[in-house]
Amino acid sequence: MAGIYLHIPFCKQKCRYCDFVSFCNRTDVAEAYMACLLKEIEMRGKELKGKTFDTVYFGGGTPSVVDPNYIYAAMRQIKKYFTLAPRPEVTIELNPGTVNENKIAIYKRAGINRFSIGLQTAIDSQLEELGRIHTAREYLYCTSLLKGENFSTDVMLGIKGQSKEDVRKTIELAAGSGAKHISMYALQAEDGTPIYTDYLNGELPDEDEVAELYDYGRALLAEKGYARYEVSNFCKKGRESRHNLNYWKRGEYVGMGVSASSFFSGRRLINTTDLDEYMKCILSGFFPVIDSTEVREEDAKFEYVMLGLRTVYGVSAQEYRKQFASDWKKDFSAAYRKTQHFLLEEGDVTRIKDEYLFVQNQILSEYAK
Amino acid sequence: MAKPNQNLRNFCIIAHIDHGKSTIADRIMELTGQVSQRDMTEQLLDSMELERERGITIKLTPVRMYYTALDGNEYEFNLIDTPGHVDFTYEVSRSLAACEGALVVVDATQGVEAQTLANVYLALENNLELVPVINKIDLASARIEEAKQEIEEVIGLDTEGCPCVSAKEGTNIRDILEAVVRCVPPPEGDTEAPLRALIFDSYYDNYKGVILFVRIKDGGVKVGDKIKTFLSDRTYEVTEVGAFAPGLQPKAALMAGEVGYIAASIKSIEDVEVGDTVTGAERPASAPLPGYKKVQPVVFCGIYPLDGSKFLDLKEAILKLKLNDAALTFEPDNSVALGFGFRCGFLGLLHMEIIQQRIEREFNLDIITTAPSVSYLVHKTNGEVFHVDNPSHLPPAAEIEYMEEPIVKAEIYSPPEYVGAIMELCQDKRGVYKNMTYLDARRVRLDYSLPLNEIVYDFFDELKSRTKGYASFDYEIAGYERSKLVKLDILLNGEVCDALSIIVHEDHAYKRGRTLAENLKDAIPRQLFEIPIQAAVGGKVIARETVKAVRKDVLAKCYGGDITRKKKLLEKQKEGKKRMRQVGTVEVPSEVFMQILKTNKDK
Repeated sequence: MAGIYLHIPFCKQKCRYCDFVSFCNRTDVAEAYMACLLKEIEMRGKELKGKTFDTVYFGGGTPSVVDPNYIYAAMRQIKKYFTLAPRPEVTIELNPGTVNENKIAIYKRAGINRFSIGLQTAIDSQLEELGRIHTAREYLYCTSLLKGENFSTDVMLGIKGQSKEDVRKTIELAAGSGAKHISMYALQAEDGTPIYTDYLNGELPDEDEVAELYDYGRALLAEKGYARYEVSNFCKKGRESRHNLNYWKRGEYVGMGVSASSFFSGRRLINTTDLDEYMKCILSGFFPVIDSTEVREEDAKFEYVMLGLRTVYGVSAQEYRKQFASDWKKDFSAAYRKTQHFLLEEGDVTRIKDEYLFVQNQILSEYAK
Repeated sequence: MAKPNQNLRNFCIIAHIDHGKSTIADRIMELTGQVSQRDMTEQLLDSMELERERGITIKLTPVRMYYTALDGNEYEFNLIDTPGHVDFTYEVSRSLAACEGALVVVDATQGVEAQTLANVYLALENNLELVPVINKIDLASARIEEAKQEIEEVIGLDTEGCPCVSAKEGTNIRDILEAVVRCVPPPEGDTEAPLRALIFDSYYDNYKGVILFVRIKDGGVKVGDKIKTFLSDRTYEVTEVGAFAPGLQPKAALMAGEVGYIAASIKSIEDVEVGDTVTGAERPASAPLPGYKKVQPVVFCGIYPLDGSKFLDLKEAILKLKLNDAALTFEPDNSVALGFGFRCGFLGLLHMEIIQQRIEREFNLDIITTAPSVSYLVHKTNGEVFHVDNPSHLPPAAEIEYMEEPIVKAEIYSPPEYVGAIMELCQDKRGVYKNMTYLDARRVRLDYSLPLNEIVYDFFDELKSRTKGYASFDYEIAGYERSKLVKLDILLNGEVCDALSIIVHEDHAYKRGRTLAENLKDAIPRQLFEIPIQAAVGGKVIARETVKAVRKDVLAKCYGGDITRKKKLLEKQKEGKKRMRQVGTVEVPSEVFMQILKTNKDK
């Protein structure tokens, strides 16, 4: 397995919690940026000739904010310079406030077969609170354009004033609209974002309240037929995100665009987060990489365990042995002994017990160096 | 018999904290051309970082100067600066034994203070000639005549013609030097007798080995001489002798009457003890000098390396500090919760704090300290009597007939408006009222007898907060008294944590147990399981709190780039755990052990 990630760093408006690299006043350079992205695809494609990729993911920012023809062009470029496996999963993130029939039609023509919609909450006042540009009604409109398509809906927990009832409405909206996949994740108030002030002032739900919402949401999702396969990800049978699974299985991926990261041939690369620097590099024929690190075996082992334990698939002793020619329980004997009580053994697989998945950092950090 | 240099004057300065001792020392050095004003960092003799920061003198510091007096002769001065705080009295007594005279500095606005008086008595015991000096005459509130009168009445010194100076402005400093020449006698001794040198301080130098600070009483010493001490049979060859200028300044020889240092490649720290006498290996003196009275530590705490593998580094640090701090005592200790470390004894709380900080700063070691304790006298039912300063060494209650605890005589000075608050505090702390004196309209002195055990708890902090910082406080040990004491244990998840046990008065056990449990509840981070915290006396639980299990600890969405970031986050989390101690199944932040008693919430 291997994946391709393309970063589209433009937004109409920055959400109050967002600390990803995105720009809301630079749509003037979108055309130039997309041209650079095509160039980077060509450069990387030539470098990685011979590798086969199974998934493509357009993330952001808001990929749906730019002219859909740019997305079409990027996909064409991917197909030209990369080898894709048969029936690749191709996902694009959508903001419900930015879509129309025409856009969806062009995406489909480009080969996009999976959509990830940022709903976050069904309560309009909370959407406004978060700085989202859309309403719940616009989400419904968006999904009406995607009838029968494979799409996922994002649900956020820990919004100011959010109740269980609000979570129920949101999940019911998502499920009722036909989402095959739901990402339900807790709001992370990052330093430097506007919402951090709310956090400092104690205005956001505390960890116990968020945990309550999570447990409630998890039960409701199970009831509606969405199985949890990773701490924040739930889906109908067979609808797991292949692109994300690849991350968690420590598969290779190549990221392109500003701030994108890659992992292939044993190295992790990170592109510059500076939009102008990114374009200058590409135009001069250089990769815009600002950090390139070889992953040492010790780190690789930790990554493998940390990523594996995130999911319900856990860590397979046999798979680990295949990759590292050693016994993972011996490699991490102290941590394993200390956390054993919170783990579940299922044949050759070890995973975190269901009830501890939401406190996994307590367990995973024991495995860090 | 040959007399020592008759133009030599060895003297020290006695003063209460903040009466200007170090500033006077600086002015004297300036005037004798020892250092030019522009070379001076503020307060030259307080060279330790900690001393400057706190504005106090901790270590005695000697310095040699030359002064041409009005009589036309040149005199050699050895000035030994001494600490003023009560905890460092032992340092003072060491300096005194190396001198023939002392300047008694009195602040013209404050008059004679308790601490000055205590040190004056020490000086008189050592047969020192005392020279009163009145300082801070530049201040508007200076009351020179009243200060003189107090010196005559309280100390009994003649103040006729005594120097009245302003060290801050450099006024009349020469008067001090003339008074030293006139009043302080030259040293006695015999330069031809066998060597006898009193070690009054020492420290470890990485290149030269132990540097001995000595006062030569008889004979002389030069490079190449073979020396030994009375406590150890080992012989050393002298590699360097010299004076303090300040800093080490080598010279050819040190003769009777002089103050200086000796280096002799002494690598074994244990061979040297302050108060011992150095003599010649080939022509030893028949008897050592009297030395010092051993000081008894009164406050104790456990010191452990944060990183268990640094035990030997900690041992070396403590040994090196002990070299120039005879009052520090220690013995190896082993705690279930904290591993291997040392049980250390100190002269007081300030002394304890200073040592802890010196270990961390000068030796770059992270340490965990336990709550301070005092030494109790335990009378067992079988007639045995012994001291216990470590709560976990207390025998089972059934074997104890009764216990005694140390009591101090406390003097509290305060503006009159806080008397009520102070009395209430002393009452809370089991104090017994003795006396109250109005020193003047603005100052009251309260005398109390208080258990030391209450003082090491939070008395200082409370006194400060209840008097807005205006009250000052001094104490001295006054003996032991029988008391109803119990051991208060803390159980974390059902297991006793030995490092958190304390000995308290029976009547305070419930309240303290509850406070401790509450404080621990706030200090211990939530973990994967619920942690009951119990305070228990004699197996009976008297307070209980619970640290709830953690419910959310997860990083949200995992995009590709998140892997590196998430890895870093987990590594940081692990790093934080390394600063914690595993007590049974529970992880406890290391600062808890020391601070848990300090953080007394308003309840």
